[in-house]
Amino acid sequence: MPEVARVEYQEELERLEASGLGGLDLVSASLERTLEAIEHQDVELAQLVIADDDRIDGRYLEVHQSLITLLATQSPVATDLRLISALLHVLKNVERMGDQCVNICKMIPLTGNEPPADEEMVKLILTMGRQARTLISQSKRSFEDRNVEMAQDLVRQDDVVDNLNRECFGLALAIGDDPDRREWAMTMLLAARAIERIGDNAVDIGEQVAFVVTGLFREFEDASHPNE
Amino acid sequence: MQGAAGATRAEAEAAPSPATTPATANGGAAASEAEGGRRAKRIEAQEVDLFYGDFQAVAGVSVTIEPNKVTALIGSSGCGKTTFLRSLNRMHELTPGARVEGRITLDDQDIYAKGIDPVQVRRLVGMVFQSPNPFPTMSVYENVAAGLSLNGGRVKKAEKDEVVERSLRGAHLWNEVKDRLDKPGSGLSGGQQQRLCIARAIAVEPEVLLMDEPCSALDPVATLAIEDLIGELKNNYTIAIVTHNMQQAARASDVTAFFNLEETGKPGRLIEIGPTETIFTSPTEQATEDYVSGRFG
Repeated sequence: MPEVARVEYQEELERLEASGLGGLDLVSASLERTLEAIEHQDVELAQLVIADDDRIDGRYLEVHQSLITLLATQSPVATDLRLISALLHVLKNVERMGDQCVNICKMIPLTGNEPPADEEMVKLILTMGRQARTLISQSKRSFEDRNVEMAQDLVRQDDVVDNLNRECFGLALAIGDDPDRREWAMTMLLAARAIERIGDNAVDIGEQVAFVVTGLFREFEDASHPNE
Repeated sequence: MQGAAGATRAEAEAAPSPATTPATANGGAAASEAEGGRRAKRIEAQEVDLFYGDFQAVAGVSVTIEPNKVTALIGSSGCGKTTFLRSLNRMHELTPGARVEGRITLDDQDIYAKGIDPVQVRRLVGMVFQSPNPFPTMSVYENVAAGLSLNGGRVKKAEKDEVVERSLRGAHLWNEVKDRLDKPGSGLSGGQQQRLCIARAIAVEPEVLLMDEPCSALDPVATLAIEDLIGELKNNYTIAIVTHNMQQAARASDVTAFFNLEETGKPGRLIEIGPTETIFTSPTEQATEDYVSGRFG
């Protein structure tokens, strides 16, 4: 058997995969803090999440640039090419998920120091958030393991998030006539919506896993044709 | 289109357009038109084994080289791709002790059948070599016209002039050499010499052009010029190209065939053939993947 060639290139590609997917750990930590900030109405913690998003953006820029350099200098093809293409997508998803955490944290001061919170709704949102974190770690794991089955299971996990989001909507509708409570509920709905988007991003990562493995890209679920 | 002005649409479509159909050696019988060119012939290899004496260089290759497409043969050194290429115009047998088993056809005509003249086969299936090899003592003009006498009989001067100009234009060389047709071909640059060899090959209006690493001795600009030329030539010819430059295969070919050998001393085999796009994005075989990714070799 001939010797293994292009060792440095392979190592660089592996390093970039680990670094890009490591962005998902940053997002997961960011979401954990975001949930804590929601639970305790912790404005300072929310500020910290906002400031820390620079780390996620920095990771995005760094890995993105290095992947472009690999494309320019190493002419990757076949699985390597699909991996790099997928990582570029995943980076974008990571960056978007980080931004969703920032979106939520920006809302936290708006609801005031002692908001007229509906406990049930807070509980629902925290459950949603924890489920979204499960999705994030599952998307990462399925990518690392090139496990298409696990990637496809993200759709099922995401349905849980979607259903909780609908429940939140129902609770907001039934929140009553008090203007302060209604405003609070509206803000929380936006937070729920942001978490729901994080789940969607995790499913997108799963689609990239399938692309890396099979060479075929298809959406696991097509939002514009949900019943096909 | 001339002559179609007063014709009905159906008639116009049915009428061949002589202007875009170069006459072929066999009177144009094979010239059902491809888009903007003519249909060249298809090469089919069935279970081809190639030997140098006792050594088997290639085993069991079955492959179709489609007309009017560029097929790239890739694989590491010693995998038999050049040997296979040379069997397609009966050049393999020029090596003492070399022999061919299996069947190779040019549009259903067995090129190894009894009574087939190898010189005729080589006229129909032209070859362009790795290093440009114009006849050193001949002028540019004579280099291009050299193959015409293979057709037998004398060729009129006016006719020769026309063929030389058409071939040089076809090889994208006319404008660079039209004022020095009587100068030695060896005085041209490397890239020009290679295009001169291509002009010489197409002067006899072959069906197929085989190219054995035609750019390996050329600089990048000359290489890209040849690649562009290859893309144009496929309108009129069937092209098979052996290349060590994988990016060249990716850029210049429609179909890629990967050859490999299990170990030194074993014969080379065809591992995978498919659309170039597929071979370079999601090949089926792990060996192909490893080779195109440059992971081994």
